[in-house]
This record gives sequence, C-alpha cells and structure tokens, in this order.
Amino acid sequence: MKKIVTAISGVVIGFLLATVFFADFTDIGPKSVADSNEKSNSEKVYVPFGEKDEYYLFASGGHSGQMFIYGVPSMRHIRTVPVFSQDSATGYGWDKETKEMLGGYTWGDLHHPAFSETDGDYDGKYMFATDVGNSRAAVMNLETFTVKDIISIPNTSGPHCAMFVTENTEYMFLPTRFAVPIGHKYEPLDDYSEKYRGVMSAVTFDEKNEKLGIAYQIALPPWSYDLSDAGKKMSKDWAVITTYNTEEATTNLEINASQADRDFILLFNWKEIEKMVENGQYDEVEGQKMIFPEKHKGAMYLIPVAKSPHGVDVTPDGTRFIASGKLAPAMTVFSFEKAFKAIENKEFAGERNGIPILNYESVMEREANPENALGPLHTQFDDEGMAYTTMFISSEIVKWDPNTGETLDRVPVQYSPGHSVAAEGDTVSPDGKYIVALNKIAKDSFLSVGPSHPESMQLIDLSQEKMEVIQTAPVNPEPHYAQMIKADKINTITVYPKDEANPNAVYSLEDTRIERKGNEVHAYGIAMRSKFVFDVNTERPDVIEVNEGDKVTIHLTNIDLDQDITHGFAINGYDLNIEIQPGQTNTVEFVADKAGTFPVYCTNFCSALHQEMTGYLLVKPKN
Amino acid sequence: MSRKLTKQSTILLVISGILLSSSIFFPWWGMKFIAPQYPEGLNIIVYPYKMQGEIEIINGLNHYIGMKPFSEESFPELKYLPYIIGGMSLLIFLTAILRSKKLLLILILLFTVGGLLGLYDIHRWLVDFGTDLDPSAPIELDPFVPPILGENRIANFITHSYFSYGSFLIGITFVLMVFSLWRVRKK
Repeated sequence: MKKIVTAISGVVIGFLLATVFFADFTDIGPKSVADSNEKSNSEKVYVPFGEKDEYYLFASGGHSGQMFIYGVPSMRHIRTVPVFSQDSATGYGWDKETKEMLGGYTWGDLHHPAFSETDGDYDGKYMFATDVGNSRAAVMNLETFTVKDIISIPNTSGPHCAMFVTENTEYMFLPTRFAVPIGHKYEPLDDYSEKYRGVMSAVTFDEKNEKLGIAYQIALPPWSYDLSDAGKKMSKDWAVITTYNTEEATTNLEINASQADRDFILLFNWKEIEKMVENGQYDEVEGQKMIFPEKHKGAMYLIPVAKSPHGVDVTPDGTRFIASGKLAPAMTVFSFEKAFKAIENKEFAGERNGIPILNYESVMEREANPENALGPLHTQFDDEGMAYTTMFISSEIVKWDPNTGETLDRVPVQYSPGHSVAAEGDTVSPDGKYIVALNKIAKDSFLSVGPSHPESMQLIDLSQEKMEVIQTAPVNPEPHYAQMIKADKINTITVYPKDEANPNAVYSLEDTRIERKGNEVHAYGIAMRSKFVFDVNTERPDVIEVNEGDKVTIHLTNIDLDQDITHGFAINGYDLNIEIQPGQTNTVEFVADKAGTFPVYCTNFCSALHQEMTGYLLVKPKN
Repeated sequence: MSRKLTKQSTILLVISGILLSSSIFFPWWGMKFIAPQYPEGLNIIVYPYKMQGEIEIINGLNHYIGMKPFSEESFPELKYLPYIIGGMSLLIFLTAILRSKKLLLILILLFTVGGLLGLYDIHRWLVDFGTDLDPSAPIELDPFVPPILGENRIANFITHSYFSYGSFLIGITFVLMVFSLWRVRKK
C-alpha cells in the first residue's frame, strides 16, 4: 500500500515539476492573432482616414444631460449633442429658441435614448430621450443632430425607463421612477399608499411640426417603474414595464423595497387604452386625461416576477419578454402567447390596486440561471434571436438561448456593465455584429485623472464563435443606455436651406438693419466670413449701440451657404454666446442692463480671418 | 465646278446648324478650384446664358484677395450670347437652303472671327478679375491671369480651366462646315 502511494506521488510530483519547468503558458489569455487571414483586434476596429464607421452609437450622457455620438467599430467620439443641459461649445441654451426649450432648467439626467421606428425598425429620422432629473422628454432631429422640442411631463417624477417607442412611433411611454402625489402636491408620507401615484404618460410626436405632446396619463400604483419595452409583431399592441417597491416603502428603500419575494411586470395593451380614452373612460386631472386603473378597468395586467427586477426586453420576433432579476440572479422568459391565453381565460391570481394579477406559472416559460452569473440587468439580441444579458455584479456579458435557457458563451468586461447595446439590437431585425458593454466603472484602465476614474464602453465582436472584447474607450459620465444604428440610415443635411418666409432671416447685406421701437432694439444682421454686419448703412456696420435698460434682440443669419462654415456670436462679459450654422438664422434676446463697452466676436473658428470677426456692443449709461 | 453646295454638304450643314443651336443648352467653359479644405472642388460652369457652380462660396473666398464678386449680372454677354448663337444657326440653315458656297465661305470666316473674339472675351474677363484686385483686401496678392485652358495656382487653390460640351459642339459645327466646303471644292 505504502509503495503504491509513494509511486503515485512520485509520478505526480514528476509531472508537476515537468509542467512548472517545461510547459508553455504563453497561449493562456487573449491571443493576439498575427495570422495573415485573420484580423487582429486593432485591425478589426481600425477605420483608416477617409473611410467612415459602419454604425452610429448614440450613448446617453446621464447627468451631463447630453447625448454622446460615437462611431462603431472605431469607438471614436464624433460629437456631443446637448439635450437637457446648456452647452457653451454650441451656444445651446443661450439663444432664444433653446433657452425657451430648456425652460429655466440648467441640467438634466438623460436616460434611455430611443430611435423613431417604422414597422419596428429604426427609420433614422428622430431620436427621443428622457430626463430623470427634471421629468422631461426631448426629440432630436437626425438631419441636423439638434433638439427640436422638449416638454415637461406633469404628475410624473423621473421618467427612467422611457422612452420606449411603439412599432410605428405612435407613442413613447414615460412611467415614473419616483411616485408622487398628483400635481406634486404636499401629502404626508404616511398617506403614501392612498395619495401617491406612479403616473405614466403616453407621449406623442407630431412629425410635421416636430412637437411632442401628451395623449393621456395613467395613475399607476405608487411603485417605482424601472425598465420597459414595447411589443413587436404579434405583441405590437402591448408593452411591458418592470416595477420595484411594490412594498410601497417610504424610507430606506435599500432594505424596505427589497423585502417582497415577488415584484411585478406591468403588461398593458396601448391600443385598448387608446380606445378607453376615445370612449371617455378617464378623469380630467391637472389638465390631463387621467386613467385610474381601479376605476377605468381593462387593458392592464400584473405578472409576478423575481424580486426587484431591472430589465425587461421583448425578443425580436415579439413572442416573448425576458425579465432580469437584479437581486434574484436569474433571467425569466415569459410568453406573450401564454399571457394572452391567461387573460382570455381570466386566470387571475387576485388583484393589486385594482389591476388583475396573472399566475406566474401560466405566463412563465422558463428560468435561465447561468452558474455564478450575478446581477442580470438588461438583455439585447442578435440576428439569430440569441440573448445577451449584462451581469452587473459578476461583470460579464452572458450569451444564452431564450428557446432552451442554455448558456452559450460568456465574456468578462471591466467593470459593472449596466446596460449593453447590440447593433440594432432592440429592433425586429438585429444585425448581430457587435455589442457594446456600457460599463459603470473603469478603474485602472486608463491614465489616472484623480480619485474619480472615467467610465468605459467596450466593443465586443459577435461575428466569431466566441465573443471577444476588441476595443475599450473611456467615456464621460455616464454611459447608460445607448442605441446603435447602421450609418447609412441617417441622412444629414449640410446647409440649412434658405427660408425666405422667416421674417428674422436676412440673406443679403442690403437688408441688414437695426430698428428701434421705444426701448426695444431689433437688429437684423448677418454673419459671414469674416465679419458681422448689423446695419450696412452705418459708419460702423459691425457695431450695435443701445441705451442702458434697452431690450435687445439680435437676429443673425449665417449667409455662408458652405458646409461646415459655422459662426458663433458671443458678447464679451455679457454671458451670452450662440451658434449660427450655415444658412441658419438664430436669435439672442437680452436686456442691456450693464452699461459699458462690450466687444462681440465669432466664437466658432470660421476662416483665416476668424480672429478679426469682431465688433462692439456699446451700452450708453442712463445718465 | 458647281456654285451650289452638294446634297451631302447641305445635310452636313443642317446637322451643324442643329448642333450649334443645341450648344446653347450645354456648358461651354468651366473652372474648378481645388484646395486642401475643398478636396471635392468648387466650380464655375459657364453656359451661354447662365452660370452654375458654387459661385457664392467662391465669391466668399475671393473677397479675401479683393476680387470682384462673380454674378450673372457682371457678364452682359450672357444676355445676348444665346441670340448670337441662335442667329448663327439661322444663317447656317439659310446657307443650307440657298446651298450657297459663297455664303458658306463667309460664314466660316465669321465663325473663325467670332470664335477668336469669344476666346479673347474670356481672356479679357480673366485679366479683369485677376488683376483689378481691391488694394485694401486683407490678403495682398500679385495680379494673376488664369489660363483659358489648363492649370494654375492661386494662393492655396489649384485652378483647372477647361472647355466643356458646348464648345465641343461648336468645334464639331466648325469642322462640319469646313468639311462641307471642302467636299464641294473636291468636285
């Protein structure tokens, strides 16, 4: 016996020593392929000068209130588009139109960008976004990459999951993250369950006038509404939203909203709700058509789900929706077909706040639980219908098959991916080429910039059998959700077309003028390389002279109808700065309440003599 | 030797008349400006009755060197050139109807003189625009004259001057006219 043990341990030690001394460990870890047929990772993401990226990536900028535009696969940051925050680089928030649009707010928390859709596919016309910080919704035109309209959403506090767009952009639904009393009235938290509501709004978009509107609102129970998705194909009239705090806790939510074993998914039929509104089944509250589910019954159902869910995503074929557990580490695949059957048979397991609850078992198809995958948050899809779920806690993306629940592949990311976005990954026809992990943390990945490290986005190649991270890019705070669209779907304009009907536009030097009406001064000027002309008939055409206290309106038209010749207009010391793009007419309005001499100048480099593009605002003192 | 044009020459003349009159609707001459920031090039394309291209952008740039702005108004030729061409075409048709060899000879001479005058006119404008520069312009440049045909360099721009379809039609018209006269001589 002893002999055998000695012999075996001798052999084992021998193998161990041989391994330590002679084994080749060099092929452990990521391989950099130098094979002539296979591209290296840097070659896969390299877009040579003169060529352009295959996809646009629109990444929400979170509390910067901005939208970041990237090219994929290069991951080059192309442009920052201000949406809910002032941006002095583009003069956004100082000119009359954008200042009015921002409505006195100076920041926003931009979440969940969404493209306009036609038949469930991106049409490349508009981009919508919501503001959790100040409860607003915005629409950006993709011909100019500028925001066209912003509306405040009454009765709602922090539309987090929105926007999610229905199949033909009929509605964007904006549920609330923070339940509040209707009209934001004061109500004691002791009356939370009775007086507080999680109001959801059905926002509409009038494409002709580029205006957002609210069709109706639903006074949902006072829970927190998290992520959402609109149905597709067979489920196109439906939508799903996850909720948490169905405990209706009013303090220390970390503990108190994590007690119930099950929270809910709200499943609703917006087509039926539309009919309810048409039939007058609503109350008029705070100027809104408000539906109270306990009063105006129908079209809304609750489905129990593992506690504190985050993501709920509809599969590209529209037959299922997948909820991710966050605190219960599993993904649940639900079937629309089963849900419809249960609704038809009225198989309800009771009611909550007037809304019928469906049986978990009669809607659920399967649970997927990859080993040690923790914190599943959000799911995207590829061209074969395979699911990719971000694991917030175990920092990875897991590829799995919604048809079987089988785990297919896993790839680690650095670190803590909240959302991910696949190429057209939430449409009826995902492309399946790339997925980007939107990481909340990126410590040690880049040169240090102090205690707060940059966040990061990582590009993952889906075209091989194994997922592979092929590019990492640092990003500004903070990547949240994003949308990735094929570049050829977006058709930008190069110059604003002349608008002869615009009374503020001036296209020829002879028409420039400064008009005075009492204490109002209106200048109709032009910006051109490399001068301002406010009134061509004066001794100094680039000077505006006003009296202290005058209300000054300056309309400027950029008559350089040449692409990329953008002018700026800043008034030194007056805290004013606007931008005028080629062919555009823009207006700045202010009260000349500071007497003195204030140079004006072009802020946006326009040509060789840009430095000379200046003038004066002279404000004569009152006495 | 007959004094009348042959049937074949007459047909050639009719064709040349048609070509000449249709040349009104084609560009005759053009200039392309290429610079680092305009790799796609800026164009002035001259038709007998109009100008096309990125004229406003070119004017915007030209003010740096004090060049006068181009516009259709600054070229009075554009107003009467179509009539001259139309008139010439009518004369060709008339010659074809009369089958007059003498008239054809005169026409060819007229055509030669007209063509030379046309070239001189373009040259005159090029000299005018390139040398009559505003002395107070921000960028001081030695007066220059771009060629009627070929490449030139002005500041950061390389210019390509070229003849276009309209003048090719004129060329064919001229060749056809000479050819029909030559056919007659051969007889």
